[in-house]
Amino acid sequence: MDLFDRVDATLTYECGPLAYDDFPRTELPVYLLGEVYSVIHDLDELRHDVKSRLWLTYRKNFPSIGGTGPTSDAGWGCMLRCGQMMLAHALILRHLGRSWRWDEGTSDEKYKRILRMFQDKKSSYYSIQQIASMGVSEGKAVGQWFGPNTIAQVLKKLVVYDEWSSLVIHVAMDNTVIEEDIRCLCKPAEYQDRLDRKEIHGMKKQMSNSPGAQLIDCCNECASSNVNSSISVHKKEVDITKWKPLLLVIPLRLGLTETNAVYVESLKCCLSFRQSVGLIGGKPNHAHWFIGYVGDELIFLDPHLTQNAVDIDDPDSTDTSFHCDHSSRMKILELDPSVALGYFCESEADFDDLCLSIRKFIMCSGGTVMFEMCKTRPLHWPPYEPHTKKPSGVNTSEFTLVERASCGSDEDFELVG
Amino acid sequence: MPESKENKASKTFKQRKSFATRKEEAGGIRGKFPMKVPVIVERYYKEQHLPLLDKTKFLVPQELSMSQFATIIRNRMTMSSNQAFYLLINNKSISSMSVTLAEVYQGEKDEDGFLYMTYASQEMFGGC
Repeated sequence: MDLFDRVDATLTYECGPLAYDDFPRTELPVYLLGEVYSVIHDLDELRHDVKSRLWLTYRKNFPSIGGTGPTSDAGWGCMLRCGQMMLAHALILRHLGRSWRWDEGTSDEKYKRILRMFQDKKSSYYSIQQIASMGVSEGKAVGQWFGPNTIAQVLKKLVVYDEWSSLVIHVAMDNTVIEEDIRCLCKPAEYQDRLDRKEIHGMKKQMSNSPGAQLIDCCNECASSNVNSSISVHKKEVDITKWKPLLLVIPLRLGLTETNAVYVESLKCCLSFRQSVGLIGGKPNHAHWFIGYVGDELIFLDPHLTQNAVDIDDPDSTDTSFHCDHSSRMKILELDPSVALGYFCESEADFDDLCLSIRKFIMCSGGTVMFEMCKTRPLHWPPYEPHTKKPSGVNTSEFTLVERASCGSDEDFELVG
Repeated sequence: MPESKENKASKTFKQRKSFATRKEEAGGIRGKFPMKVPVIVERYYKEQHLPLLDKTKFLVPQELSMSQFATIIRNRMTMSSNQAFYLLINNKSISSMSVTLAEVYQGEKDEDGFLYMTYASQEMFGGC
């Protein structure tokens, strides 16, 4: 019976009016944002899952950025859109869960609220206007291209204003994930003592002096509340003993000019974790949000379609342009080496489980590990500073090196350590 | 012979010196400092965000970890800790950060006796 079904299906596939080639007809499993599908058996469910994601593309005719800036992000905003898509998915997980699905005409209030946060209006938390303007603090003028790390850094700063979600973003630098930093960010109460002991009054001072300090005070669910909560008394105090939902972003460079083939299996492994919210990266110059893989191909949503801006607050508007019927595919080796992995951990148990998966992955991957995981911060690193809405200053380190002396005769070697 | 920064930017260490010269130099320095690893650190030629280091040749204690060494290079460039920075060995891959320079040297050193690293941030994306 099964065989007949397949033969029948194959014939249909070959002879029928084949509309889409979004998934190859294969028995290989499809890994999609922490779920596993079979193309042969679950194609409809798979497509429905893809279509339920927010698809954020280039738009034109939106209110100008900064009042006089661009009214379209075509040609420059693709990485910003990919960052938006990954965050939007994390927020869907946060508020609606992984099994939630979008259907045309849905009246789900939480969904609408999430969608409104991404529409192209200055007043929306994660709008193109907000992101491009915040990019200035990362040294990117409005309209300049972003890399995966740039968008992650910007979203990390924006997310602290979104009290409804009370999500925190941790960006793991130097291909190293420090467990302790993340626990400190997500569960500040447990680490309050530790922080106090470390006498981080420098940070407190910095915060109260910063122009954004008042804003921070209004937003007691912000990433810096481990510091903030001790100095500001607020009416609707949040439970700081509770784990804050986490979006972990790990920016990587998997080669210089092209992705090194040794990383292919590692990449697949990292995309198969239950907590995966995909990968932001792309082909050279073209950013994509990668949502999974099948065989040696990555599955992605592509922001490179310029649509007209839609005002979702207009009752006559529809949200269909925010959902994509069919995802695209490309070979893993076509991937530009600059990427960032994303993971969402709603609870501490999710994070513990992710740590376990990562450790297992690192153990198995031998010499080709893409990133490290440490329990505590390396001593030679500067102290951890959760985001405080002020651009962080110049890197400092206890580790001082450098005797500038050159070593003898004609040598211009630099002696280290 | 001191070389101007412009030359350094346009030509790599390998392009500037013959194999024989490099081999002799690496051998000499290894003889003098057997516990240190001679490392050449250069900027990726397409890199647009990270500054050029004032030195390319480093003598690194062999017990130093890759993570420590990366921090040292980071600090020399006085960049924000939120800026992307990667050290790639032999223009290919990032090394495990917990291994020591001695281990990396053992596995990845060039025939001339130097260990080559290239630093880069991340590419930017845009286009129609």
